[in-house]
Amino acid sequence: MSAERTLRLVWFVTWFNVRMLLASEFFILTTFISPLIFATLAFFLFQSGGGTAGQTLLYVALGAGMMGVWSTTLFGCGGAIAWQRWEGTLELLVNAPSRYDFILVGQTFGAVVLGFYGIVATLAWGVLLFGMPIQATYPLILPLSLAAAIISLGSLGMLIATTFVLYRHANALGNLLEYPIWLIAGLLVPVATLPIWVRPLSWLLAPTWGMEAIRGAATGPEPPFFAILMCFVLAVVYYAAARVTLVFVLAKARRDATLSLQ
Amino acid sequence: MREPTADTPAIEALDLVRTYRTHTGVLRRRPISVEAVRGISFEVRPGELFGLLGPNGAGKTTTIKMLITLLLPTSGTARVMGYDVVRETTAVRQRIGYVFGGDRGLYDRVSGVDNLRYFAELYGVEPSEQKRRIAALLELVGLTGREHEKVEGYSRGMRQRLHIARGLLHDPEVIFMDEPSIGLDPVGARELRQTVRSLVDAGKTVLLTTHYMFEADALCDRIAVINAGRIVALGTGANLKDAIADRTIVEIETFGVTDEAVDRLRQDSDVGAVNMEERDQSQILLVQSDRGAHITQRLLSLLGDTRIGKVVAREPTLEDAYVHLIATTGDDEAHAARAASVQ
Repeated sequence: MSAERTLRLVWFVTWFNVRMLLASEFFILTTFISPLIFATLAFFLFQSGGGTAGQTLLYVALGAGMMGVWSTTLFGCGGAIAWQRWEGTLELLVNAPSRYDFILVGQTFGAVVLGFYGIVATLAWGVLLFGMPIQATYPLILPLSLAAAIISLGSLGMLIATTFVLYRHANALGNLLEYPIWLIAGLLVPVATLPIWVRPLSWLLAPTWGMEAIRGAATGPEPPFFAILMCFVLAVVYYAAARVTLVFVLAKARRDATLSLQ
Repeated sequence: MREPTADTPAIEALDLVRTYRTHTGVLRRRPISVEAVRGISFEVRPGELFGLLGPNGAGKTTTIKMLITLLLPTSGTARVMGYDVVRETTAVRQRIGYVFGGDRGLYDRVSGVDNLRYFAELYGVEPSEQKRRIAALLELVGLTGREHEKVEGYSRGMRQRLHIARGLLHDPEVIFMDEPSIGLDPVGARELRQTVRSLVDAGKTVLLTTHYMFEADALCDRIAVINAGRIVALGTGANLKDAIADRTIVEIETFGVTDEAVDRLRQDSDVGAVNMEERDQSQILLVQSDRGAHITQRLLSLLGDTRIGKVVAREPTLEDAYVHLIATTGDDEAHAARAASVQ
């Protein structure tokens, strides 16, 4: 398949998946409303703790937004596979002449890009309701941080989605991954405050570095180049792992006849 | 990659076997295996309409799923247009279309045309071709004018027609249809048969599974009757009918017939097979015998005091041939295939 054809395929699947997700009331609630609730709770918690400085509020708003992004990633990647299995379209996608990993890339990025709305929404929410000043320390680096975070979260979403292809009850795993990652990836509190033994786990997670890249560009004190680099490194590792896993998963699905099971 | 020659069969299956492994129990899980397909071999010529006919659970869908690369055979080999279904999956997938019966397999929350656009992209239809191709297929399946409505509002027949359009998007050489008329009303089923016939007229190879005898008879060039995972007969409709040409079918309308009475008929040495169809108030017993209409009185006496309606003796049809084949190969084979082999 030519590069142009591949890009067109990925773009088309992304666009289609965005449309499918926006047609789901549950997804709209998760993506558009939940981040605002998280942000409100976080603002009041920090205010009651005395953390009312502008940069602290921005730190909180970005964390709350990222919590929404992670929820959307889980639902949009894993949940979409579960939904396709239920609809009976998963077999058709896996069995299409196009490479399934490209289809998964499109589906995943559709979800993650939509999820990043959460960050925009929480920032606007903070400005409107809590008078949060919005001024990035490194405004030119911020777009790069956002792109790095989207790509690394998308790749992680793709890796998670591969397990959903194989196991029909993987949705339970998806739900289980939501809250712990909020905590371990430093979305609510800094990773530095977590027990030392948890930190290596944090470093393996895309949301940790995505969050650090975005917060670093927004609130400083240093430009977050290392975090951005880690986002790209992890994206490559996740994608490679997803490709390898997918070969195994698709072979096993053909052997065990699991694709059509609901 | 080599191209198939003119002599290459469109589909060839050799000793295909498929065993499903699963388990029973929750706390004490016991592995069991079920042989869904037990050594199936057949060939389909290019341009042929080939039918796989059998009762529910006979192994039809499993056979199709192996041929379209969705399932790996446990043993045996299969090729489509000369390409191995296990190793050359991409080459096979580029050349086949498939249509499954039922409500599933469509994106309900978007329109019919959006479903087709999406799958056209996945099936590698050239962007410059997509619009023309989708319009032609909508016309072919009679959905022109309804294509912008959401699929969730489609009737069962409309969904099935959309399935067919999807399966034909990339102009495949071989089309697999798994019980495409299931659940359709008589008019919808007739339109579907016309569509299938037009595909064969256009040079496509079609493998169709069905458990409707008349559908196989009306459409297929050749029919393989499959039961309990094995092909029990293969030939034209006329060939299959010949197998019971010397038999007479006695149709007996009964009201409230008991299982014991039906068993008495089955145990009679001159009775080949007994099939029962439930109607609203009555049951129709179809009794096969090689004794001609003379056996009628004896059959009625075996039914004892069962209330009897109309009684007709007639020539056998293809459906009777099918019933005969399934009845004579059925119980022991089916039991063997499904018996859990506890490991």
